[in-house]
Amino acid sequence: MIRPITLPLTVLAVAGLIAMVMSVGIGSVAIAPADVLLVFLGEGSNLHRTLILELRLPRTLSAFATGGLLAVAGALMQVLLRNPLADPYVLGLSGGAAVGALLAMLAGLGGAVISGSAFAGAMLATLMVFGLAHGTGSWTPSRLLLTGVVVAAGWGAVITLMLAISPARELPGMLYWLMGDVSYARAPWPGLGVLVLVCALVVPLGRSLNVLARGPMQAAALGISVRPLEWLIYILASLLTATAVTMAGSIGFVGLVVPHMLRLVLGNDQRLILPACALAGGTLLVLADTLARVVIAPEQLPVGVITALLGVPTFLYLLYRSR
Amino acid sequence: MGKLKGVSILLGWMLLASPAVASYVCATDDLGEEICLKHPAKRIAALSPGATELAWAAGAGDQVVAVVAYSDYPPAAKEVTSVGSHTRMDMERLLELQPDLVIGWITGNPTEQLVTLKDMGVPVFSIEPRSFEAVSNTIERISTLAGTEEEGFAEAERFRQGIADLQEAYAKADPVPVFYQVWDEPLMTVNSQHLIGDMIELCGGDNVFGQLDRLVPRISAEAVIAANPEAILAGGMGEENRHWLARWQAFPSITATERNNLFFIPPSLVQRPTPRMLEGTQLFCERLEVARGRRP
Amino acid sequence: MSGNQRPPMQTLSTRELVIDIPGRADGYPLDLAIKSGQVWGVLGPNGAGKTTLLHTLAGLRSPRAGALFLNDVPTAKLKRRALSQQLGLVFQDRQDGFPATVLETALIGRHPWLAPWQMEGADDLAMAERSLEALDVLHLKNRLVSTLSGGERQRVAIATLMTQSPHTWLLDEPTNHLDLHHQVAVMKLLTDRAAAGNAIFMCLHDLNLAARWCDHILLMYPNGETCWGPAERMLVPNALERLYNQQLATVEVDGAPFFVPKRD
Repeated sequence: MIRPITLPLTVLAVAGLIAMVMSVGIGSVAIAPADVLLVFLGEGSNLHRTLILELRLPRTLSAFATGGLLAVAGALMQVLLRNPLADPYVLGLSGGAAVGALLAMLAGLGGAVISGSAFAGAMLATLMVFGLAHGTGSWTPSRLLLTGVVVAAGWGAVITLMLAISPARELPGMLYWLMGDVSYARAPWPGLGVLVLVCALVVPLGRSLNVLARGPMQAAALGISVRPLEWLIYILASLLTATAVTMAGSIGFVGLVVPHMLRLVLGNDQRLILPACALAGGTLLVLADTLARVVIAPEQLPVGVITALLGVPTFLYLLYRSR
Repeated sequence: MGKLKGVSILLGWMLLASPAVASYVCATDDLGEEICLKHPAKRIAALSPGATELAWAAGAGDQVVAVVAYSDYPPAAKEVTSVGSHTRMDMERLLELQPDLVIGWITGNPTEQLVTLKDMGVPVFSIEPRSFEAVSNTIERISTLAGTEEEGFAEAERFRQGIADLQEAYAKADPVPVFYQVWDEPLMTVNSQHLIGDMIELCGGDNVFGQLDRLVPRISAEAVIAANPEAILAGGMGEENRHWLARWQAFPSITATERNNLFFIPPSLVQRPTPRMLEGTQLFCERLEVARGRRP
Repeated sequence: MSGNQRPPMQTLSTRELVIDIPGRADGYPLDLAIKSGQVWGVLGPNGAGKTTLLHTLAGLRSPRAGALFLNDVPTAKLKRRALSQQLGLVFQDRQDGFPATVLETALIGRHPWLAPWQMEGADDLAMAERSLEALDVLHLKNRLVSTLSGGERQRVAIATLMTQSPHTWLLDEPTNHLDLHHQVAVMKLLTDRAAAGNAIFMCLHDLNLAARWCDHILLMYPNGETCWGPAERMLVPNALERLYNQQLATVEVDGAPFFVPKRD
């Protein structure tokens, strides 16, 4: 093996753990670390138990899952489209999910229906782009990309329309969803489950992805069934993104910046990059969400703002360093 | 006779003896849910500026431990801990204050956060007052839950009576076509379903945009010119938005401009479903009277 | 199969193969047999279909008609992975993928030989480095491919094929971008591989390279006509002049013919 795998992954895992511990320990109500420990040992006051076990812990786990889902989806999209500027939303997936969610909000439905609607919208968008790009029989990454960009713009127009005609009282909720908000994700297990499952599927395919990233002809010449692999990546990336968007709305930057940052530091071996993305993306989003909760408490910021503010300068710095 | 008396005494003792019945307070909220508390609420969270005012009107001001941003009336409310914006509350801070009753706003608070509170066992009383009578009985219901019935019912009755008096005074008034401006950019008004629409009607006004479908429609300046109201009343987020009226002076074809029937009403008297609407309605009616007086 | 063992005798053959060039009428069916030890040169003007033929032989394009066989087993019946253990291809045009070092690029040649979970081992690394050395690019092994010159990249591509160590090597104009020294070195390498038991099949646009180094020639005419056979029989001025639509003068150098285009 040319580059070490275990060291970077261990470092990232530890960073993730630290971030999660911090996130559970920090909130707009100050809880001393000793009290946090008490809660996990089964004791602690009712208030602390409620705050930590019912508010902070699910939210932290959800943030981790969402960040991991988005980062891995971004990495897969970048391989699929052989374009380092691809992110999970470039094919219009988040647009479809947004339209689904906003429709549910307009209809006055709540909670689970909004999530289900977002998921359905995302999968519909996926099928649509794939079907349209399929066209005369074979699709290339550039055709897929172009179709996706146009369809995403279409969804954007629908979203703008919905925002324009919806009653004023629905607007804050809609805007929060569009900016990404982890506060509604109460059940982290589906997200974590999908993340682990997809990683388990995709990491053995890592070397095939490395070869695929060289170009389809070269990949075919080395024994890769290019079309089926591309289909698989597309479906998996869509599943990851749909799950993330369903849990927390459309959080930007994570899917674009995290894979990039990791590639600058760790190279291009997908066997390392994909699990690293899961860990780093989760860590980043947990940190961002902690900040979003407390930086101007009691006002709550949407986490997408923080991911941008954190991610962009870090990425620029790394880019500068790598010259 | 003796048997009956005996039975009723027995029943009376049973009623007195069962603690559950004796101190439970219950009220049905605007979602149709019955909220019952073991004892009157001592720590109330009001999740909208309107709810804050209603809680004070119900006599429960001393029991309010949490409010949201912009809860500026009565002045005492400004001293209470804020838990964020009504569109996104800080749940941790709210829970830290350990409320035993939360007054939620159905169309203003995010449903998910109210549901989260309910899931955690916090009683949530959801309100959505849409008529004068609703304001009164919301005050009454809150006072029941807060154990301040005496004050609350009295205030509710005062409001009812005040509205009834105004209603009588202006029952035969000549209709005045009115445009009520909620916001400047985009230009927004209300239809007749809105509580402000009720106010307009009570004062003998005729909301020129009353039949529109949406509760708070967005319209164009042209539509206002075409509707040619005789009086324009403007509200707004702050208390000093008189400059909105200046815009209409550019259109002398509007009757309201011609006769200088451009009036400002402090929005907090009109745009919150609270007892201060009585003051607001009064001002409203007086303005329309002025407009009637300026008829040739 | 590691690159050190002598590959078993193997034949890649076609039966009535008609390659598919969109918009062009069917060419003449090909019945080729590419055997171990042979060094084939494919000659023809631009647009004759040399690259298409190569890609068809590699299984990347479907022929219009006919079939391919590997030791009498139809290639259609073989899985891609198995096929790529036997056939390898160096492309004429390089596609730019994600950044990678020279060593990483050479190493992906081992892909057909590794199971999904299997990581590259010391043996694989050694093979890659040996290949890089044979192509004189080992000193560049940690450089990013995108920073190399055209010639260096060409040699890395050939080194990747060598790391893949299939039996039959298909190469599309392998001497493009190479300076004279490396041209000779690469051709010598290919000849040595053939002597060691591989089969070499390459498209060349330089007639004289083919004349110096190949023992079998395939001529592809623009009208779809083909003819092939041992080099001495194919490299006759009439056929070549017809092929290239160009008058040629012939001289002999080092015992092999050398063709020079006439000036008028």
